This record gives sequence, C-alpha cells and structure tokens, in this order.
Amino acid sequence: MASTPTGPLSPLPPLPPLTPVPPLLETSAMSATIERVRRGRIIRESITLPLIFLTVSFGGGLRVAAASRHLVFLPPSLMALVLALLLLGALVRSGTLVPEALLRPDRPPLANASGLIVVITLFVAAAQVFNTTTPESGLLQFIVNLFFLLLLWNTVAAQPDRRRMIASLIVILGGAFVVKYVVLGALYDPAGGLTKRVLMTMLEGVTLGGLTYESPAPITGYVAFFTVLLFLIGVTLLPARAAGPDPGDR
Amino acid sequence: MGPTLIRSLGLVLTVAYGSLIVWTYANQPRTVAEMTGGITASVGAYRIDQPSYQDGLRYFHADRFLEARSAFARADPAKQDATTQFYIAYSFLREGWGRVYSDPALLQQARATLEHAIEVAPGGRINVADPNLTLTTSDELRAEIARGLTHDASDMNPFKVFRRRP
Repeated sequence: MASTPTGPLSPLPPLPPLTPVPPLLETSAMSATIERVRRGRIIRESITLPLIFLTVSFGGGLRVAAASRHLVFLPPSLMALVLALLLLGALVRSGTLVPEALLRPDRPPLANASGLIVVITLFVAAAQVFNTTTPESGLLQFIVNLFFLLLLWNTVAAQPDRRRMIASLIVILGGAFVVKYVVLGALYDPAGGLTKRVLMTMLEGVTLGGLTYESPAPITGYVAFFTVLLFLIGVTLLPARAAGPDPGDR
Repeated sequence: MGPTLIRSLGLVLTVAYGSLIVWTYANQPRTVAEMTGGITASVGAYRIDQPSYQDGLRYFHADRFLEARSAFARADPAKQDATTQFYIAYSFLREGWGRVYSDPALLQQARATLEHAIEVAPGGRINVADPNLTLTTSDELRAEIARGLTHDASDMNPFKVFRRRP
C-alpha cells in the first residue's frame, strides 16, 4: 500500500493588509446622508410647509372686483371651516398626514410648536381653498358646499390610501375650480365671449333664471389657480404614514 | 445651522408672515398702494410725497377743492397720513358747506374721510397747526360735520346766513 509522502508544511502566503478605511468612509457617508435628510425634514416642517400654507391662506380669500378693480379679502365662511375640518380628518385617515410625526410628547417643545403651526396653517389653508373654489353667495354657494360635503364624506368613508387621497383631492378641487372660474365665469361674463356662446349653445333651452353670481375680475381666477396648486403641493409634502415618526427626531 | 436655529427661524418667519396676513384681512386695503403703504406705516416707514402735499395745500387755500383732493390723493396714495386725510375731509366740508343749504353727500364723504384719518392718527387725535383753518382739531371738524348733517328748527333761523364759514 503506497502512502502519500509527507514533507514539511510550506508557509502560508502573507495575508493582504486589512483596510479599515472603506467601511469607515461608508459609515460617515451614511450618517451624513441621514443628517442631510433629517435637516431637510426639519426645514420642510419649520419653514417650507408653514410658508406654503400661509400663502394659500392669503391668496384663498383674495378677490379683485371686476368693476372697480379693488382688492377684497374674504375670510373663510363657517361652512369652509367645517369642510376644512372634514378634509383634515380625511387626510389623517388616509395617512396623508400623520399627526404623531408633528406632535409627540417625546419631542422638544420647539419641535412640537413647529408641528402645531403646520397643523394650524394647514387647517386655515384648507378653509381658504374651499373659500376660493366656492361661489360667494346664493344658491350656487349652497350647491357647491353640498357637493364638497358629500364628496369629502364619501372620501372619509372610503378610507383611501395616500396616493388615492391626493388624486381625489385634485379631482374635487380641480372640478370646483373649473366650475367656478371657467364655467360660471364664462356664463356670467357681462362682455360675453366664445366660451359663453358655446356653453349657451350646448345648454340650448336652458336659462339661468334666478341664479345670481357676481363674476370677479379674471386675475382672481389666476390667483385661485396658483393657490389651489400650492395647496396640493403642500399636501404632498406633509409627513405621510410611509415616512413614519423618526425615533431620532430632534 | 442646527435644528433649534432652523425651528426658531421658521417660528419667527411664520409669526411675521401670519401677522401680515391678519393685518391685511383686518384692514381690507383696496389697492396694492394701500396695502404696501399700510405695512410701511405700521413699521413707521411711510412717507408722503411732499411736493404733491404742498400742491394740495395751495389748491386748498385757494378754494379749489377738486384739485386739492387730487393732489392730496397723489401725496398719500395709501391713505395712511392723518394730516393729509384731515385736509381731504376739510375740503369736502368746505365744498359742501353753504350758508343756506349744505350738501349732505359731500358732508357724508367728509365724515367718512375724517373717521379714517382718526383711525390712522397716532392716539386717535389730529391737531393741525394751520392759521388759515377755523377748525384745527379732529374733534372740532367732526362736530362741524355733524352739525351740517343735522336738521332741526335752528335751520329756519334767518341769521344763519351770517355765520362764519368753517
């Protein structure tokens, strides 16, 4: 039986020197990214969102009278406040707004103050967005308010996720904007115009009857458009459920 | 910039911007000039256009009230200077005042302008050191306007035509 000859063990080749630098670099890069994200979130919560919602609150009540070109600043009606509260409820239920990310007992008082300001300015901005997309008086105001109430009620009951909630909000506010500033604006335009003629032709046989509406100056529509757009941008920037509360929140 | 500093800055910005919005909705400026003038007046930085103001005074003392009001409006587009508004109210009074009959529409305009002037005046009182004026304070002007708008038995007094023009 042949046996395998055994000689002295050859020394192992030297191991390559350990390089501890790359992991350290990775850790510091990660912590820098985390810090940047955290700072961005703080800036968004303390500066960006309040300024967006305050701008919406300012623009939502602004009207320019068609005849005199005077500025008029309309505070939100009681119905607009009710609708805003309903919208806040819908945003919370859909996870578009997570109140715990803004107000928590373990946050410092200054951070909670920032969070409270976001909630308050969001509420006022929501009321002013309903204010700007609703006719100012009469039967049309009642009809649009009822339309908002039923749609928001339906949205709350449906419990949509964040994406669908925002899509629903775009449809609700966009629809109301088109009705007030495009359709009614054209129908009640004293100077007439192509849109009015087209609409009157389409609604042949139908008269406006006793429905009264005072069409504002065209610039009001532009202000309202950017106000609604800014509000929707603000809503998408709110701390959502997916983001969740940050344990290292400062 | 630390989180505390960012949050403090945000709080200051929000309070300042929010106050501006509340001021605008409470005061209801009707033009952009009134809005900017009101804001600058609230921080004590509002100044009237002196040449236009002097034009207004010259017209006023020459009893050319329409021209005077036009010049005063140019001098104080934001309607934030109490003295200029006082002169505008006074011009309405002098134009509407008559020995036999006073024009109630002009006196109503005088009253509205004076009330606004009192609103923007520091301390709610206006005192104008002008020797050509019969009424030099807002209280005297307000009382004279009220007398012009009141109709009673003394209107029948024939000696009323000899009273001195305010």
